Amino acid sequence: MTKTVYVAGVAALCLLGIGLHAIDAHAAGGDWKRGRVYYQKVCTDCHTAKAGGAIAPNARTMADWTAYLNADKHAKGKDSLRNYASREYRASVKGTNKAAEKYADVPDEQLFNDIRSFMLKGAKDGDSPASCN
Amino acid sequence: MGVRICSALAIAAMLVAAAAGGADDGASDKVLKSTSDHAKFKVLQQEFASGPEVTRACLTCHTEAARQLQLTQHWKWEFLNPDGRRLGKKSIINNFCTSVASNYAYCTTCHIGYGWKDDRFDFSVQENVDCLICHDTTGNYRKAPGFAGHVVTQETEFPPGSGNRLKPVKLGPIAQEVARTSRDNCGACHFFGGGGDGVKHGDLDSSLASPDKSLDVHMDALGNNFACATCHMTAGHQVPGSRYAPTAVDRGGARLRGKEYKTNPTTCQSCHGQAPHKAGAAKLNDHTDKVACQTCHIPAYARGGVPTKMSWDWSTAGLMGLDGKPMVRKDAKGRVVYTAAKGTFVIAENVVPEYVWFNGRVTYTLLGDRIEKGAQPTRINHFEGSAGDNRSMIWPVKVFRGKQAYDPLYKSLVVTHMAGTDDTAFWTNFNWEKAVAVGMASVGAPFSGKVDFVETESMWPITHMVAPAKDALRCHDCHASGARLEKVAGIYIPGRGSDHSVWLEVIGWALAALALAGALVHGTGRIAAARRRH
Ligand code: HEC
Repeated sequence: MTKTVYVAGVAALCLLGIGLHAIDAHAAGGDWKRGRVYYQKVCTDCHTAKAGGAIAPNARTMADWTAYLNADKHAKGKDSLRNYASREYRASVKGTNKAAEKYADVPDEQLFNDIRSFMLKGAKDGDSPASCN
Repeated sequence: MGVRICSALAIAAMLVAAAAGGADDGASDKVLKSTSDHAKFKVLQQEFASGPEVTRACLTCHTEAARQLQLTQHWKWEFLNPDGRRLGKKSIINNFCTSVASNYAYCTTCHIGYGWKDDRFDFSVQENVDCLICHDTTGNYRKAPGFAGHVVTQETEFPPGSGNRLKPVKLGPIAQEVARTSRDNCGACHFFGGGGDGVKHGDLDSSLASPDKSLDVHMDALGNNFACATCHMTAGHQVPGSRYAPTAVDRGGARLRGKEYKTNPTTCQSCHGQAPHKAGAAKLNDHTDKVACQTCHIPAYARGGVPTKMSWDWSTAGLMGLDGKPMVRKDAKGRVVYTAAKGTFVIAENVVPEYVWFNGRVTYTLLGDRIEKGAQPTRINHFEGSAGDNRSMIWPVKVFRGKQAYDPLYKSLVVTHMAGTDDTAFWTNFNWEKAVAVGMASVGAPFSGKVDFVETESMWPITHMVAPAKDALRCHDCHASGARLEKVAGIYIPGRGSDHSVWLEVIGWALAALALAGALVHGTGRIAAARRRH
């Protein structure tokens, strides 16, 4: 009897797991708040130090950002933008960057999607234009 | 066997937690946060033409929500002070944009309701409660000034004829994503009090939407990530911790679950208790009976890169530039410090607070109270307290100084009709007499027809932007000449300039020298005696 309950529990968990992943696949929107934190604490940290200052989402339009994000060329084409949202990059800076540490295990595609949501939403013609403040 | 079932269930529960926690993805986070996915509710799967339509849909399930809201200060904008006077946004006059009366359609952009456009607003209509302003999670819900709290759902030119087009807000997707409140929700109004980002409070601005630890240890987006409601523990939509009902002194301990408390839960003590400092720094615990936690733990406000207004002189408003258009002046950093509509401002960042004794009582100067133009500024509000009343603590405050319109014959503050597309609004015609006449008439108050300007002062408690312990004040920040608490009267603060007394120090050092000499003489005697014995 105990065993039955246990097996039923495990089976339920598996189903729940499948459920979660099914929802996950449909979560196209992206978590803009997580995107915001990553953008501010990882992207902007480096831009302030090495790119002559912060780059505000409202500096460009949604169409510009969509093209930029799809092209995946960063810093005047020198490297890949996706690289800076990757788990590999996060692992390399997590000793000194708390956002990279906190989000160390978030799947690449998901985090990139979060950043995309934040940038599009904050674009000049986005739903809620965001400066760097 | 019951026990075994229990342990099986416990293991299952642990596995659920592990599975969900380990997944660390947005979707499972969402499942764990709420048992309802609002996108699945038929009633929300529609395009709404107005805010009240959304509220009607919300109320089909949350049947009592509007009635709860209608009992709150957020809805009424009214507060009865312990001294019997009626306060709240609805009736006070401050030294920022001055008054809500006669400017409803603009000020009520930040009301949690729809349609409060004049003093005939019906506070009993349930569908006029705005659910989305507090429960939107998309960050896309906006209410534009001038629409009495209504949301614009079709592209609209505003003001009419200006060429300025407002983008419509799509309510359906927003309604489908509602959830608990976050800093972004509260911040949509409270970060922008006084007419702009960070203007009013100094310790509340948009930098707190996603702050780091150095700005606020509690709200740190990568750490504790507190929502406002974590401290402002809300029950039945009643949000505790209003500045109209401040708790200056909390002698209670840290709160326990299951116990019922009647007092304000937003105080530091309600979590940290009365002796929060560790053994190595236990001396600090001797301070907690007289010094508010905020005094040491918020070394400065406006620390997030957003300046706050420190003073506002309305008397200079109305200047036109050479082009005949309302003048605007900016400082070296490009920040606005003068506009024809509002006058001259001083703005500042990283501001060291002023410190006062505060016992929780606040007195106000209201419309009709007699005021004199003189050497002392009129106190729009004032924190009461003293060293001797045994009910006060030393608190950090922002003192906001201004010069604003008053009636020099009736000697009263005035209601000014600031905003509006009509020809009497000050922001349209820049004529004080006209604007005040309409403002005063709107509240049925007498007006002599003359306008002059009087210096005013208001106080704001500094209580957010709590810094990490390493950045808290050190002993010498107060215990030294010219230090922070120099002007706080009625208490002896060792080391403070005003507490230096030459004769007291001479006596002190003389006693110390005598004690040392005594010990040396006694010690030498003992050694000599011991030698002799051998
Ligand atoms: C390690 C440093 C660093 C990180 C991390 C970084 N960037 Fe950059 N970024 C740069 C530099 C350097 C430039 C180029 C500045 C220039 O040459 O004008 C740049 C430029 C940009 C530009 C301007 C257009 C371009 O590509 O030249 C955008 C947009 C941008 N970065 C977005 C991002 C986003 C989004 C992230 C985070 C996912 C990010 N960056 C992370 C260093 C960084």
